[in-house]
Amino acid sequence: MRIGIDVGGTFTDIILMDNRGKFYYVKTPTTHNDLAEGVLNGIADILQISDQSLQATDSIIHGTTIGTNAIVEGKGAKVGLITTKGFEDVLEIRRVARPKDAAYDFEIDNPPPLVPRYLRKGVTERINSKGEIVVPLDEDSVRNAVDFFKGLRVEAITISLLFSFLNPRHERKVAEICQKIYPEAKISISSEICPEFREYERTCTTVMNSYLGPVIAEYMNNLINRLNATYNKVELHIMQSNGGSMTVEMAETHAANLINSGPAAGAMATAFIAELVGSKLAVGADMGGTTFDISIIDGGVPRSTTWGGVTDYPIKIPMIDMRTIGAGGGSIAWVDELDVLNVGPQSAGSEPGPACYGKQGDLPTVTDANLVLKRVNPDFFNEGKQRLYSKKAYEATKVHIADKMGLSVEEAALGIIKIVNANMAKGISASSVERGYDLREFILVTLGGACNLHAAEIAMELHISKVIVPPMCGVLSAVGLLVADIQHDHVTTVSKREQDLQPHELLSKFQELEDIGIQQLKKEGVKREDIAVEWSSDLRYDGQSWELNIPIPAVSNVDLLDIDDIRSNFHKAHQKAYSYSNPDEMLEFVNLRVRVKGKTPQVKLPCYPDTPTPLNKAEKERRAIWLETGLTEVPVYDRTLLGPKTALYGPCLIEERVSTTFIPQGCSCLVDKYMNLVITIEDLEK
Amino acid sequence: MAKYKADKVTMQVIRYALEAVADDMGYALQRMGRSTIVKEIMDFNCAVLGPEGNILSQAHLCPLMMFSLPRTCHNMVKHYHMDSWHEGDVVVTNDPYLGGQHLPDVQFFSPIIFDNELVGFAANICHQLDMGGSVPGGVAGGLTEIYQEGLRIPFVKLYHKGEENEEIFSLIGNNIRIPEKTLADFRAQAATTLGGVSRIKKIISKYSPGVFQECINMLMSYSEKRIRQFIKDLPDGKYTGVDWIDDDGYIDEPVKLQVNIHIQDDSMVVDFRGSSPQTQGNINCPWSCSEGAAFYTIIGMVDPYMPINSGCFLPIEVRPEEGLITCPRLPGAVTARSQTMTKIVEAMLKAMAPIIPDQVVAGSHGQACTSSFTGIHPETGKRFTYIEIQGGGCGARPDKDGADGQDLHLGRFMNTPVEAAELEYPVTIERYEFIPDSGGAGKWRGGLSLRRDIRFHTDVTFARYSDRRKFAPQGLFGGKEGSTANMALNPGTDRVQVPKSKGVSEIKAGDLLSICLPGSGGYGPPWERDPERVRWDVINGKISLQSAKEDYLVSLNSDLSVNETETKALRAEKGKG
Repeated sequence: MRIGIDVGGTFTDIILMDNRGKFYYVKTPTTHNDLAEGVLNGIADILQISDQSLQATDSIIHGTTIGTNAIVEGKGAKVGLITTKGFEDVLEIRRVARPKDAAYDFEIDNPPPLVPRYLRKGVTERINSKGEIVVPLDEDSVRNAVDFFKGLRVEAITISLLFSFLNPRHERKVAEICQKIYPEAKISISSEICPEFREYERTCTTVMNSYLGPVIAEYMNNLINRLNATYNKVELHIMQSNGGSMTVEMAETHAANLINSGPAAGAMATAFIAELVGSKLAVGADMGGTTFDISIIDGGVPRSTTWGGVTDYPIKIPMIDMRTIGAGGGSIAWVDELDVLNVGPQSAGSEPGPACYGKQGDLPTVTDANLVLKRVNPDFFNEGKQRLYSKKAYEATKVHIADKMGLSVEEAALGIIKIVNANMAKGISASSVERGYDLREFILVTLGGACNLHAAEIAMELHISKVIVPPMCGVLSAVGLLVADIQHDHVTTVSKREQDLQPHELLSKFQELEDIGIQQLKKEGVKREDIAVEWSSDLRYDGQSWELNIPIPAVSNVDLLDIDDIRSNFHKAHQKAYSYSNPDEMLEFVNLRVRVKGKTPQVKLPCYPDTPTPLNKAEKERRAIWLETGLTEVPVYDRTLLGPKTALYGPCLIEERVSTTFIPQGCSCLVDKYMNLVITIEDLEK
Repeated sequence: MAKYKADKVTMQVIRYALEAVADDMGYALQRMGRSTIVKEIMDFNCAVLGPEGNILSQAHLCPLMMFSLPRTCHNMVKHYHMDSWHEGDVVVTNDPYLGGQHLPDVQFFSPIIFDNELVGFAANICHQLDMGGSVPGGVAGGLTEIYQEGLRIPFVKLYHKGEENEEIFSLIGNNIRIPEKTLADFRAQAATTLGGVSRIKKIISKYSPGVFQECINMLMSYSEKRIRQFIKDLPDGKYTGVDWIDDDGYIDEPVKLQVNIHIQDDSMVVDFRGSSPQTQGNINCPWSCSEGAAFYTIIGMVDPYMPINSGCFLPIEVRPEEGLITCPRLPGAVTARSQTMTKIVEAMLKAMAPIIPDQVVAGSHGQACTSSFTGIHPETGKRFTYIEIQGGGCGARPDKDGADGQDLHLGRFMNTPVEAAELEYPVTIERYEFIPDSGGAGKWRGGLSLRRDIRFHTDVTFARYSDRRKFAPQGLFGGKEGSTANMALNPGTDRVQVPKSKGVSEIKAGDLLSICLPGSGGYGPPWERDPERVRWDVINGKISLQSAKEDYLVSLNSDLSVNETETKALRAEKGKG
């Protein structure tokens, strides 16, 4: 039995898969004062619904936004930073550039450094670019720094020295001294957390680990203690940003890996659904109240990046490449002084919420526009738990948009939908096209209830011909937790031209990483036969600074290591990404990466026999809704009554407990055997 | 039936799509780049242009280069016959006298042909590592004729129908120092424009050329109206600002930069009367650079997130006056023109400060400290050129401090990481840090500047331009000046030397070069600064105890808490004045 727990801003989603592969799920309100409370409530609920009890062998996989929240709210730990003397300010100087997209903005600033200057101490030492010690470590300077930190009771210490990724000796020695003088502080070492070149990014990543470590530890310990008190011993895993999970013990020392843990689960769920419907290329689209999260699935797995980050802090560890844009059901529509319509990035969130919630909010949002257009049912929103006031939506759209632009209220609402769809399409396009993908080969998979009203129209905008609306769409992210393997990434920097790198050296470096990874997984209780290993290398043309990650088949024998094959894969990838390659040029091997996975038992969605439903049976009502062409009467179907093989044609609406799907004119929809709604956009000009 | 109609909604949708194309072109160029200046520093920009060179959208990158692409494109379409454009063509030029910047900034244009009609260009401009000339690296101050500064390429079709012109590639290759890197970056620039073309054609095909064009017109007029509305709210009149450049790198005399802004109703005229005539040294600012600096400042004051297209420029006439430093004649040398461009921004902000005090910022470091070091790498035996562009302090703002150690106005550069530099070049960077007390005191403090110390392990030729050793960044409304710049070879030894701010000289193996950038000005009287902020700055070593007391009139106890009584007494004096 496996339980997935996804703690979101409003709801905590709990999903349970029993040993026969049957699913149960519940939503409970997130308890912000004490997140563990909501988690425990949810577990109690789901055990009751499923009539199960927790056994020691069962595992719980937890997705959490606690890391991201701590950063946004500035509530991380008090951290002391030890650097090479003369480079204490690197963390604050950053890369000197103004924030992205702010080239003309005199006012905007980068976020403040996570460690202020007085808590950054230099120590005398230096390693050169070949990894040689040119100035030995002055241990007195280390002791002075640690004494100072101890006096100020920092909670964690980051050690980030120049070129430690080539030679970690000094960093390890500094750690030893810290440990001796001040064992209470949690220590993060840059050569372990992020052994790659570029001192700012490496330092920032390692500081992030220190900043979040104590926060995560406190939360996890509390949760574990309470779980153990109620259920005896349980096995708890945490979702990482790379799409795998790890044990709680590991999480405490690798807290930076937990950033974007929640959205990563969503990406894993997207990959799972794409696999199910037989597609290797997919876009995952998760629309919430405030944000729209985009993931790209390539070859059945979410695309990852080592250039991710959170709120403008770079996090240079492999993570699922998520793009988040400010567009959601709560995004506020507004008209600027020249009567041009904009949507977002400001959001009404869930408090005060869209105007139609009837709370304090009186500004029109995307949800209000959908209500004006009658695409959502005011009496059946979020399982009927949230009553919507059509009149308030109409008023808000009229006063703030329609009157100012000289449009009818319905035209204004259609405009809001078009702009927000264009925003989301732009986000998807930036995530994919700039990386060399042709979206026409992709399917779009929706997550979260709000997306299904927009997905087909976004797909049209992007020339994507197929949209999948999965079952359980309100809790689908949590399914991603169930399918996630235990997973760790290990990296070493080689920085060698192909001519200087011997195949046996390549092999032994990979094997070294692999051994470390396998040992780690065994420690976490994974059996050897359940371990899978993936190798890859970051390559570039000699002289470039930015690498492409190229998979390399894991082999045990040097004769099987096909360098020519690696070369040719790099040229192909470069051609694809940048429409340019040159097979005559020399390559450089920058980083070698090994990903080890502890395979989890396979998860399967239940499969149902074909039982096409006569449409008149599934029709709840006929409703006049607003389309581009005017007020049109369309059928509204009850999703729960639609059996596999049922075919529907747009325009129509499909309602279920937590979501409404809009099928526009020119689209058809087929229910597949997993109960996915498969929407096909028929008249796409290719 | 047309699927889309040209309305305000479609206009916004097309705007987003065009911005995405320009941004994605920039992203691709960085990832493909070979030289540090492309791949780490990001000294380039990309745009989508109309058939006459109007900007339709541009990437959110280095605004410094913004105005070269349209001006050069405008000249280019007059140069070529309409029928001579083909799918897959790429034209290259770097001529400042055709609309360019300085010679290292090479522009690429690729035509967008739709239904057999020229509908625009995908374009980019990028600082290349070396374009030949008398000094390696192309950033030497002190030269006196453009012929010394490098290879000046007129409009040349580098690609014809997608095919490289190998003869021109080898002509260029023969005249530059590190052809393997630079020509690879040329190819990257070309691939980027060609990639942009196919993206734009998809957009046009989706919306139909008619709707596309109409929406473009609407976008232009939208931006124009935004600027007009801003100008209309300003009181009519003439506003003048002056700033000074230390010297032109050839003759050691200050060079004056004056901006006169004439506002009438909803239009603005900017002229540079009163500025120094064209100089012998190479701080002359080509016309498109002067225009670009003026537009940058205005967009920054109006709304940095408005759609930036040629519509923005319609309400503003920037008047050239040939022979001034802001509009040089051939063969005026121009390499160090960014010293002058940044002063245009500073002078305009100074001119506007009295009428819009809440929308300006105090003086930033206001120069571009650009250095190149060229030598033979002892390990590879190959020639290398290592380029550094440094940040400095950013001016204090009406409601907050200036940013410490940031790129310049007009730029969106990144630094070269210490480890990236040392992995590639025979140098050791011994220090990279903020300089305490370099930010001008004020109610809001000016940003601190930076110091970088580089030790060389081989002999190098050191070419550079920089400024602000004599004229400090200005404070505003009672805020104090920021610190000035300086540079020293082997400081603290008996071999110490001070290299000129602009010039070329030799550095020997073992020498240490220390570069200190200018700080920036404060905003408002320092004694109005919240004593808690003063205390926090002292704790963090950003200002000294002495400055706290003398500039800010804040007295701190030995435990660094604020001594309220003494502070009140110190500040009371000022209150009376």
